Amino acid sequence: MPHDSQDEASAEPEAMTPLHPDQVKVLAVRTGLIAALLLLAAVAADLGPLRQTVLPAFLLPAAVLALGLLATLVLPRRRYRRWCYREGADELDIRRGMIVRVRTIVPFGRVQHIDVAQGPVQRRFGLATLILHTAGTQGAAVPLPGILHEEAEAMRDRIRAKLRQEFV
Amino acid sequence: MSEAVARRLHPATLIVRWLKIVPQLATAGVAMAVGARNRGYTSVLLFVAIAAAAGALFAFLYWWRFRYTIGAGEIVIEKGLLHRQRRVIPFDRVQDIAVEQRLLARLFGTARVKIETGGAAKDEGNLDMIGLADAHALRDLVRHGPAAAEEAPPPAEPVLFEMGLGRLLLSGLFGFSLIFLAVISGALQQLDQFGLINWSDWFTPRRADQAAHLVTLRVGLILVALVLALGTIAGVARTAARDFGFRLTRSEAGLRRTRGLFTLSEVVIPIRRTQVALIESGPIARLLGWYRLSFQTLGADRKEGGVQVAAPFARIGEILPILAVAGFPAPPPRESFHGVPRRALVRKAAPGLALAALATVAAFTVDLRAGILAAGLSALAVLGVLRWRKHAHALGESALFVAAGLLRRKLWIVPYEKTQTIRVSRGPVQRALRLSDLLVDTAGSGALRSPEMHDLDEGEAERMADRLYALFQDARIRIRSAA
Repeated sequence: MPHDSQDEASAEPEAMTPLHPDQVKVLAVRTGLIAALLLLAAVAADLGPLRQTVLPAFLLPAAVLALGLLATLVLPRRRYRRWCYREGADELDIRRGMIVRVRTIVPFGRVQHIDVAQGPVQRRFGLATLILHTAGTQGAAVPLPGILHEEAEAMRDRIRAKLRQEFV
Repeated sequence: MSEAVARRLHPATLIVRWLKIVPQLATAGVAMAVGARNRGYTSVLLFVAIAAAAGALFAFLYWWRFRYTIGAGEIVIEKGLLHRQRRVIPFDRVQDIAVEQRLLARLFGTARVKIETGGAAKDEGNLDMIGLADAHALRDLVRHGPAAAEEAPPPAEPVLFEMGLGRLLLSGLFGFSLIFLAVISGALQQLDQFGLINWSDWFTPRRADQAAHLVTLRVGLILVALVLALGTIAGVARTAARDFGFRLTRSEAGLRRTRGLFTLSEVVIPIRRTQVALIESGPIARLLGWYRLSFQTLGADRKEGGVQVAAPFARIGEILPILAVAGFPAPPPRESFHGVPRRALVRKAAPGLALAALATVAAFTVDLRAGILAAGLSALAVLGVLRWRKHAHALGESALFVAAGLLRRKLWIVPYEKTQTIRVSRGPVQRALRLSDLLVDTAGSGALRSPEMHDLDEGEAERMADRLYALFQDARIRIRSAA
């Protein structure tokens, strides 16, 4: 394979499936909840210990509020867009990551067992996370979040049917 | 052996377990004594005596409540004082059965038998200890069935690798180790903690001052030479104790390795379970043509991190046949390896050089000593670049080859069919330079010692990932149709 520095974004985007659009809301709600908790802590700190310092009132809560709003309103859409997957005949190809971009190819023949997990926020939107476990070491569990629960179960059954055909 | 009789472990177990338990109990007891501010030799001796008595009781209870039964096609192990545990291991589930003889065990003519089934539990079957003859009989029974156990011993296995005394001592010279310094300081610290000696009496500022006058250049050189000599001796001793009588043979189940001076160990590396081969060598040993071969195995001894040494100190000509027996291809010539692109060198050097430039400025404006920092940082950057230039990979007929390391050079051989997952990743800096890391994950690999390929061209990494996946599927189909 010769070296060439041809710039190409390797993936044909049409072939890749995006996550369910509601995953944006799941991410937003999750981030929002964390931001709200941090805001509460910031307000408490502002009313208490920070009054003993020279920091102006409301500075910390305002900063936390601004960052929280940014994280809740802007980031989920971006994070969502970085996820996509392709279910091949014998493998799952997953791309993810906003800062560190990662592509993982999981051959079905290597899957040890499969989980379908559903967090409380995901449940409200009917979404789930499919997790493929392999015998590998780094990234032995490969998650695929934000697909419809029924679709996750259908995928699990499809992959399991292929597992049964091979062993070791 | 046909009728199932429940047996106990060898009576010598009592003594060996007692010797093992007492130091632990004694340490705990002494720690308690110190906690109670009861320092001094008398109270320490009292606690040691109590520990000795308690240890004898524990050892007896363990021996008394431990029974094993060898039945037709299975072994049953029962143990536990209050919480009884009964474990049945069918012989056809046994992946590996190892016989190990520690020094004391050898004095009593006994051995420890470890049975592995490939399950998750550690110590799946552990007979510690039974008579040596019983151990070998059990091993043969499990490996070859009841007929072979009673017949003549199986024919001698072909020897793949052996190490004579000369080679052993030579390899020990490369095992330079300063571990004795840690041992001595650790021991002194323990004694200090228990109040048996007192550091602060020994090292007063006045004494330190007197000592400082004594340290001349000559004394310093002698000290350095002494440390080097002791380190070399320690290295030779450690290597000799571990690798004495090293012998690798081809057995039915895989590669059988026996070694050890005080602790005689025998391990079978099942060929089917080997995942990755690693050939490595330090700078001086490589110059003289010596290499080490090890295999990464699935579910192997956790102590060694799933890595089993197959030849600790060997010529390439000796390593290649072992690789062939284990089903690994030989490394291709140097020309077929691809290195990292030039701009990856930039990425490796840039942070160090940038900081070095800052330090240089600081050296001229603030403090001249910053120049030392600048020199150090530049050296690090250069080392990083040199290391990256050694980083290369090659796609062989049946395996991926990855070379890495500047001083200690490593070459991984990853057969395509052993792939678990394939991962391409790039951080922000790598993205700006259009570089990617590529990892073929395998079972049992360590997080630090993995054959990850760093800083490939982005497009090539993606294409290689697809290619590696296709090669994996091809290899699987080939193996399945061969079976």
